[in-house]
Amino acid sequence: MSLTRRNFVLGTSAIAGAAIIGAPRYAHAAAESLRIGWLAALTGPSSAPGIGFDRGVKFAADSLNAAGGVKGRKIEIVTRDTQGDPTKAVNATQEMINSQKVHAIWGPTNSGESLAVTPIMARAGIPNIHPCVIDTLIDTKKFPNAFRIAPSNGQWDDAVRAYCLKVLKVKKIAIIGDTTGYGVTAVKACVANFKRDGADVVYSNNIDATQTDMTPDMTRARNAGAEVIVIWSVSTGMEARLFNARAEMNWDVNFAGHPSMASGEIRGLLAKPQNWDKVYAVGYRSCSYGTDGKLPAKSQEFVDKVQGKVSLDDTLFWWVTAGYDAVNMVAQAVREGAGSSKDIIAYWNTLHPYAGYFGNYTYTAEEHNGYPTADVVMSAANSAKHGTFLLAPGYV
Amino acid sequence: MSVDSELQTRRPIAMTGAGGAAGAGGAGASGGQATHSGHHRNEDWRKVWPFLAIFALAALLPLAGNNYWTVIATRAAIYWILVSGLNLVVGYAGQLAIGYVALLTLGAYITSVLAAGNVLPPMPPFLALICAGIGGGVFGLVVGLPALRLRTFYFAMATLGFATIVTQIALAWQDVTGGGIGLSGPAMPAPFDSEMGLFYLCLGLAVLCTLLTANIARSRYGRGLIAIRDAEVAAEASGISKVRLLSLIFIFAGVLAAVAGGLFASLQTYITPDAFTFELSVLFFIAILIGGRGSILGPLLGTIILTVLPELAAPLAAWSNFLYALMLLVIVLAAPGGIAALLDFRSRRPLPANRRIIPDAAPLDRLLSRNGKEHGRGGVGDDASNDARNHTNGSARNNVSNSAAGISLHDVVLGFGGVRAIDGLTLAITPGQVHGLIGPNGSGKTTTLNVISGYYRPQEGTLRLDGAPLPAGQPLLRAAHGIARTYQTPRIIGEASVLDNVMIGGTLHGQASFVETLLRLPRHKRDDTSLRQAAYDALQAVGLAALADARADRLQHSELRFLEIARALVLRPAFLLLDEPAAGLAAEEIRQLGELIRHISRHGTGVLLVEHHADLIFDICDHVTVLNLGRVLADGTPAQVREHKEVVSAYLGG
Amino acid sequence: MLGSIIASGLAMGAVYALIGITYNTMFATSRVMSFTAGQLGMLGGVLGSLFMLKVGLPPWLAFIATLLGCAVVGLVTELVAVRPVLKSLDQHLYVLSTLALALMIQQVTAIEWGTEPQPFPRLFNVGSGLMDEKFWLPVVACALVVLGLEYLYRRTLVGMAFLAVAEDNFAARALGLPERRLRVWSYVLAAAIGGIAGFASGQLMLAFFANGTLLNFYGFVPVALGGLGNNRGALIGGLALGLFQQAANFTVGGVFSSIAVFVLFIVVLLAVPQGLFGSATARRV
Repeated sequence: MSLTRRNFVLGTSAIAGAAIIGAPRYAHAAAESLRIGWLAALTGPSSAPGIGFDRGVKFAADSLNAAGGVKGRKIEIVTRDTQGDPTKAVNATQEMINSQKVHAIWGPTNSGESLAVTPIMARAGIPNIHPCVIDTLIDTKKFPNAFRIAPSNGQWDDAVRAYCLKVLKVKKIAIIGDTTGYGVTAVKACVANFKRDGADVVYSNNIDATQTDMTPDMTRARNAGAEVIVIWSVSTGMEARLFNARAEMNWDVNFAGHPSMASGEIRGLLAKPQNWDKVYAVGYRSCSYGTDGKLPAKSQEFVDKVQGKVSLDDTLFWWVTAGYDAVNMVAQAVREGAGSSKDIIAYWNTLHPYAGYFGNYTYTAEEHNGYPTADVVMSAANSAKHGTFLLAPGYV
Repeated sequence: MSVDSELQTRRPIAMTGAGGAAGAGGAGASGGQATHSGHHRNEDWRKVWPFLAIFALAALLPLAGNNYWTVIATRAAIYWILVSGLNLVVGYAGQLAIGYVALLTLGAYITSVLAAGNVLPPMPPFLALICAGIGGGVFGLVVGLPALRLRTFYFAMATLGFATIVTQIALAWQDVTGGGIGLSGPAMPAPFDSEMGLFYLCLGLAVLCTLLTANIARSRYGRGLIAIRDAEVAAEASGISKVRLLSLIFIFAGVLAAVAGGLFASLQTYITPDAFTFELSVLFFIAILIGGRGSILGPLLGTIILTVLPELAAPLAAWSNFLYALMLLVIVLAAPGGIAALLDFRSRRPLPANRRIIPDAAPLDRLLSRNGKEHGRGGVGDDASNDARNHTNGSARNNVSNSAAGISLHDVVLGFGGVRAIDGLTLAITPGQVHGLIGPNGSGKTTTLNVISGYYRPQEGTLRLDGAPLPAGQPLLRAAHGIARTYQTPRIIGEASVLDNVMIGGTLHGQASFVETLLRLPRHKRDDTSLRQAAYDALQAVGLAALADARADRLQHSELRFLEIARALVLRPAFLLLDEPAAGLAAEEIRQLGELIRHISRHGTGVLLVEHHADLIFDICDHVTVLNLGRVLADGTPAQVREHKEVVSAYLGG
Repeated sequence: MLGSIIASGLAMGAVYALIGITYNTMFATSRVMSFTAGQLGMLGGVLGSLFMLKVGLPPWLAFIATLLGCAVVGLVTELVAVRPVLKSLDQHLYVLSTLALALMIQQVTAIEWGTEPQPFPRLFNVGSGLMDEKFWLPVVACALVVLGLEYLYRRTLVGMAFLAVAEDNFAARALGLPERRLRVWSYVLAAAIGGIAGFASGQLMLAFFANGTLLNFYGFVPVALGGLGNNRGALIGGLALGLFQQAANFTVGGVFSSIAVFVLFIVVLLAVPQGLFGSATARRV
């Protein structure tokens, strides 16, 4: 096509139009709203948790605002879809801190992102709650502003190990993880912890989650005599393939590990529903029902509260409740008189405990990992009911 | 000259400099030179002010007080450092390196690993950055070298493969890179550790990179790159070594990309392999293409736009990759020249409608007799031409005996499959003479030219220059030997200006090294001035001076033929091979062409003229050879050949 | 172990070979290497899963619908990304236009379909273990496609017309062959082949948007190895690649196997740029 004046005019007006539509929005000083930034991975890889958290966050904000807000101030959630990309996460964090002038940030939900933005948030001193599990993210000296609402990976690891050694009573362990940042660290730590506790790690490996055939690794684990296979991965596709491989090999071995093994997406990826048997995923007391089918009273209260407003069926209970609790933690701080960032952080340091729906958190100035280890349990992965699970056999 | 004044009145304003020169052509050169270089200075200013505006605005940005935009601007500056180098590879050299994020990853990791002290004791960040640059240069060469062997699409795929490999290695080498968990980026020393400090550091480097790449782009290296991209055969004939030039560019671009990577790691404060996505690679690539090939300003604007676009609106962020791809598609289909072409108002000004080609003898004399007769091979060139001179005993041609002087083919045989294109050809081109080569189609005329040019290796026979054998199958060395040629279909660079096209011919004369050009040291400036002057002289000599600044693809076919001759003249060739230069020319132009060729040969250049226009041949040739089916049918003076019975029956008719 | 390597190697190899044939078929009539080949393979799986699981069509109907969907994409490719740039003299523009289109397809799929791999149902209930459907279906599909193409090219007029246009564009036009229509049809055919590849490998690779980039690269390797435009070479190259990759996966593990594949690819390409079975490039002067 030749370069005519018409084309040029059309081209520039298109660009100008796009620029006008997307003019930057600056935070308005008026309305005194309580702005909470939400670094959400809503699209992109591993977006299922983000979507779950998002439901809890929205529900919390809506219910608080319906009740008149916090001390007359409306809650405003500033959501940015980071797509799991650390670059976008850094940009979004800077925008939230400098342009939108948020009062606190919830998230991010992805390990790669949080590793990049934690130092930035620390530098700005902005109160931050996040559910990321990587142990090094919480450090009261380097990052006094960061609080973890979920168990750390160390706590997950403890729960899995305890189940393997004390309930299943096995000694030979195989450990498999994916090749993400999370998977690699988790496997490393897990291996070390098992060895320290006297178990025999007969096989360990990190596999690319998109590998189509899991038989090689399963075969090697079996040949090494593994009695349980511990999985640390966020990829449901990979996990489903591992379960299917186990079935094809006719191998009667237990799987234990990452909570994503209980995710609803796995159902459609299984060759046979039975392949999901004897899979135990990390769960929480607050999210587990007993053999009588009943949830703990407080959790049931939440289920009743969101009835008809939030769907729990295709997501996990802990995601929704954690998102809800995080927003309320910010609201609570402000309600108790916290005005500035420093005040919010100072208030959180005094929470022992804060009773949330996901758990009862305890924070002090020296400890920002708030989730009680005792509440981390194993669930039967195939037993999802409204996002909650049956407690694994052997628990009291 | 009355004809000239007719041109003068019609010429648009932009051409006044050139017009003034042409008008004064008859009266002497100096006035024309001064006007042309003055005009040139105006051009420089016109090209520079957008950059000044952008960088000045950028420098003022932090004063707005919003760190968010400072961070975005830092990111744009870092991306530009990488893109400015990649621009030379993709935009100028036309090598589609899609997976360049590999070098960003490499630079980021090398800097971070060295600064953190995982392998060696911790280094100061700037030293780590320099080491990353060195690593980037080496690896840039490794990534780029397949381009010399592979086709476009294959090379693109290979770079994608490299990008994957680097990420996989970063994932796998846990002890050093931290594997999936990554490691901290280097913390710059004060005052660069604050957002504003880092921004000014990156901005400063971005400005520096703009200068460096602009220096290369506007030098013979830049022209050589575009020549390789668009007219590879002609570039070869002008002595431009694709291997050498591309290697230099790959190394340079690799250094810039790795430095950008180190700065990227510093901005992110922590790097993991998943930060280096394919989308990022595509962003760099698309920024260059949206900006436009062969431009510095275009890709700069492209980079800024693509970095800022997702930040302007949240929905744009989610669909940003789709938008980039859509923009690329639109640009490719609607405006392949990109933003640079949209902004290039000057190239859309109408050229004079009834322009004529008026060759001029005086500039020709100036050009060809500048260094005396024995320097038919041009000035003291670089290694290739020095080697060539050593080959031929380095002596001035005066010392060579007359019988051995010139190009001689003896019993040359060349076949393709079962067909003998040339079957026992003996031919001699004597300096100072115009030698015509005629014959029916398929008689082997162009093939003969190609053998002399070195594209084909004859199976039998010898090819000598001044008595010494001329290496076959090496077209690259011909320019150094003082052999220049034109082509049956003009091979010119459409997107470049006429003057730039002509300057390609004189590439070998440049003495400044890559580094000297990079830094615009005096030797480069001297080179540039003398080459520009020589090119301008050549254009005046062929009569195209008025069109010096026009884009070459706007010229008419006949003007392109003269353009090719001008390009050949800049080499100050000892021998000029012309492949059907009169094809498509009007009668008056053919006459002018004849005079021009005559003049050229009077300066001692040996001309081989392959032609179909019998009149032209018999008018100006001193010696004519007639080919038929690859064999010499007749050989002698025009008068002799015209009477030759077989020639008349096979070719001339009547 | 060996059995697993052979089963999965042949299956994946068949998929790669089919994508290679897709590339070749597009190249044959247009001299254009299109980045959309891998995306078509991905769409075969995604559309199949969409029609069977979300819309609820029976498998044979879903198969036809998938092929239609892919055919539309092939048409769009020819119309938008190839035809306009064939007119221009600039050789490399097609790389950009097809890349842009491929990226757009990928992004739309990622946003609309989702970024997690979705299940793909079993089509026949034949075979298990090493002879499971997910292993033999791609191989059977590949064999059928290859045989079908042989028949098309050697026995039918249309097929010979394709070959004619591929060999010498100008001569074909001079003979009166409708070059543009043939090109459009060859793109539709290529797209259908890509769709078949994706549909047959749905169980193996799941309906996953990232399959596009994966297949783009791994489907290109057979073309590079086998020589541009050479379907037999693509078949052999694809199967060899699949076996090599799975063997590396089994023995040294995922990360190193992709490095191994790539290094091999680069080495072979640099040593024999026209492919192991290809022909040298023509004169350029």
